[in-house]
Amino acid sequence: MPNKFQRKVSPMSGGGVARASSVSSSPSNQPRKRVKRCCRNFVTFMCTQVGVGALIVIYAICGAFAFMNIERQFIDGTADQVLEMRQNCSQQLWSITEKHNLIDRRKWSEDTNAVLRDYQAQIADVIKQGYVGRSPEQIWSFPAALMFCLSVITMIGYGNMVPRTPWGKGFTVIYASIGIPLYILYFLNMGRVLARSFKFLYRSMHDCTQEHPHLDRLDALEGGVSLPRKKIIVPSTACLWVIFFYVLTGTVMFANWERWSFLNSFYFCMTSLCKIGFGDFVPGASLTTAADVNAATQKLQEDISADPNELAQLQSVAADQHSKLAINFVYMLLGMGLVAMCRNLMREEVRVKLREMREDAKLCMEDTRLRFVGCCGSPRDGYDSDYY
Amino acid sequence: MSSRRSSFRRKEKPAFDRFKDHCRHFTAFMFSNVGIILLVTFYTIGGAFIFQAIEIFEYERLKLEKPHRFIARNFSGEALTRIWDLTSENISFFDPRAYRRRVNDVLLEYQRAIVKKQLKGPDVEQWSFSGAFLYSLTVITTIGYGNITPQSEWGKLVTILYAIIGMPLFLLYLSNIGDVLAKSFKWIYSKVCLCRICPGVAKRRIIRERRKMRQLARALQLHDMENARGSSSYSSSNSTSTSNSSSSGDYSRSSKHSSSLVDVPFSGSDSDIEREIRGSTDEITVPVTVCIFVMVGYILWGALLFGRWEDWNYLDGSYFCLISLSSIGFGDLVPGDRVITADRDKVEVSFILCAVYLLLGMAVIAMCFNLMQVNIKNNIPCKKVTTYSFTGASRPQYSSCKARIQGLFSMQKLLGRSLSYKRILLFTVVGD
Repeated sequence: MPNKFQRKVSPMSGGGVARASSVSSSPSNQPRKRVKRCCRNFVTFMCTQVGVGALIVIYAICGAFAFMNIERQFIDGTADQVLEMRQNCSQQLWSITEKHNLIDRRKWSEDTNAVLRDYQAQIADVIKQGYVGRSPEQIWSFPAALMFCLSVITMIGYGNMVPRTPWGKGFTVIYASIGIPLYILYFLNMGRVLARSFKFLYRSMHDCTQEHPHLDRLDALEGGVSLPRKKIIVPSTACLWVIFFYVLTGTVMFANWERWSFLNSFYFCMTSLCKIGFGDFVPGASLTTAADVNAATQKLQEDISADPNELAQLQSVAADQHSKLAINFVYMLLGMGLVAMCRNLMREEVRVKLREMREDAKLCMEDTRLRFVGCCGSPRDGYDSDYY
Repeated sequence: MSSRRSSFRRKEKPAFDRFKDHCRHFTAFMFSNVGIILLVTFYTIGGAFIFQAIEIFEYERLKLEKPHRFIARNFSGEALTRIWDLTSENISFFDPRAYRRRVNDVLLEYQRAIVKKQLKGPDVEQWSFSGAFLYSLTVITTIGYGNITPQSEWGKLVTILYAIIGMPLFLLYLSNIGDVLAKSFKWIYSKVCLCRICPGVAKRRIIRERRKMRQLARALQLHDMENARGSSSYSSSNSTSTSNSSSSGDYSRSSKHSSSLVDVPFSGSDSDIEREIRGSTDEITVPVTVCIFVMVGYILWGALLFGRWEDWNYLDGSYFCLISLSSIGFGDLVPGDRVITADRDKVEVSFILCAVYLLLGMAVIAMCFNLMQVNIKNNIPCKKVTTYSFTGASRPQYSSCKARIQGLFSMQKLLGRSLSYKRILLFTVVGD
């Protein structure tokens, strides 16, 4: 017994003999000891859970900075290509205009159309090579990079933004192979903590809602068997309800913000929480908003008659993007934790159910065997006696 | 287990019964492993047909009901009229630079519209059978490349249902196949790397190892003795009851550990060695490094394969393999994407290749986790003992070491928990 106690003390005292002696000098001081133990447990609890959480967040932030640095060095050759193509196209248009000079509209239209079609085909080719209409600086803003890191280590992998430099790809490989185990650690920790707190909550609610505790006691007295405190197992339906409400909250939230339909929003939440992550819907990452803002700014500078309200609106949308990304980050982390919690709780229930089922099956087998023996036993005996 | 015991009890079993037993085992094996593979394959193929049908049907229906949504906006026509207007407006002052700047603006908008349309997603033509097959595979393995996504509402709903049913099925597949692969890998490892295929070499090897172990154990004991003497003198000088009791308790515990460690190698005799060589391969632990090598080798092999097939360079290939096998699945590199216009047959083959590679690769990773879990469970207590007895004569050093040991202990607990491979798989795939 003292051995066990000592083992609990030693990691905290860490070489401080004075504290250990103070504990041992007042063994009669029970409440104080209990408070101390409570405090110690609390501190260790904070250390483990919060430590892992902080590690994840720091890891993600470091990764975000690294990816920003690496990916912003990417020289987007396609942008220059597109610019050149556009210049070419306008040059061709000018030459056509010069040639036909508004006299023959049909001829002009035909030629211009041919040029435009050519241009369109060229653009489509460039897009296949990876042109997205945004420069790397616009894509790899800090929140977006953070979201990217998170999608790597949680294995969702939206794929709306991907590393394009060789260094970025190599770093992604290394980052994933370190980050995924770390995330697993976080996941298990978080799952355990959430499961414990949810179980506590459920148990207290269960105790509250049981309106006839004395009746139970009476039953127990009548039965003559004193039932010890029955272990309450959270039913899996409760877990499923929790998950369902979480998904529903996400659905409504994202549908409101992103103006998606409810089905699309629900689809997004489900595919994200299942870690499929198609990336056809990603909150806060609409396709060309940043470029639009820039274009509007330019337009405003060049043209006084343009509407300044439009620019303000676009800017607010662009600013919103960042907060949305952050909230999506939190939503995903918490959602994964909830999934882990449900796994923990349901595993317990499944284990109990399985044991019950096994016992049932064993009893059933035994029963059928006995019956079988009872039915077939006598003819076989007769046969045996005949044989001998 | 029970069947084996019963067969031991009755040695005089007739040949026919034994044959029947074998048959039964074989059938069970077929059902458990081959059956699950077939189940997963058929589920995926069925999903492919369903998704293809839904997407094409919905596309046709929408086209009939709401044709205005499907007439492609004539971007080039709009651009054309705008340019015409510009030209007719500015024809009076013929300044080529101003004209070109204006035309450039029009072109920029036109270009943006094209980019938006192009990035928004491919059409219904992508839902060929092989594309749909890869899609349903990425759903149940939770890779989710996202190069093909359902556009219709029914497609989305069915995807959710399909994922909810398919993912547990896939987990079952993984745990089953991972088990089988782990067993066979252990067998191969014992035959090849531990040289059990020829008994003489193996015997000499085991004897050498035991000698080493014995020496180590002796050294451990010596250290223990010194340690105990030092700590007892320390506690007597300090004369506090708690530290004394603790150190003596620790000493007894550590000595117990080391004595158990000493006992094992001393009992080695010839028959024992024989038994170990002949024994089942279940007790063998494959080192972690070998597992990691297997995983890295599989990824590199995939890089080679896809590099040859898809004209990717090795970095791209290994990047694709790791991203796919860890079920991240960005979808920037997808097999069959680049050659989609070139050759139809090659696309089909590459889809199948990718599917087989993914299914096998996830099972291999499951196997590696399975082996690593066993290894870590066996290894960490051993490490604990060694740290325990080798460290410190002085008290502060000792306590810090103890803290470290406890850290190790908790780590072992955690790893043991996390590395139970079914959970990891469950985790890797669904978020468990």
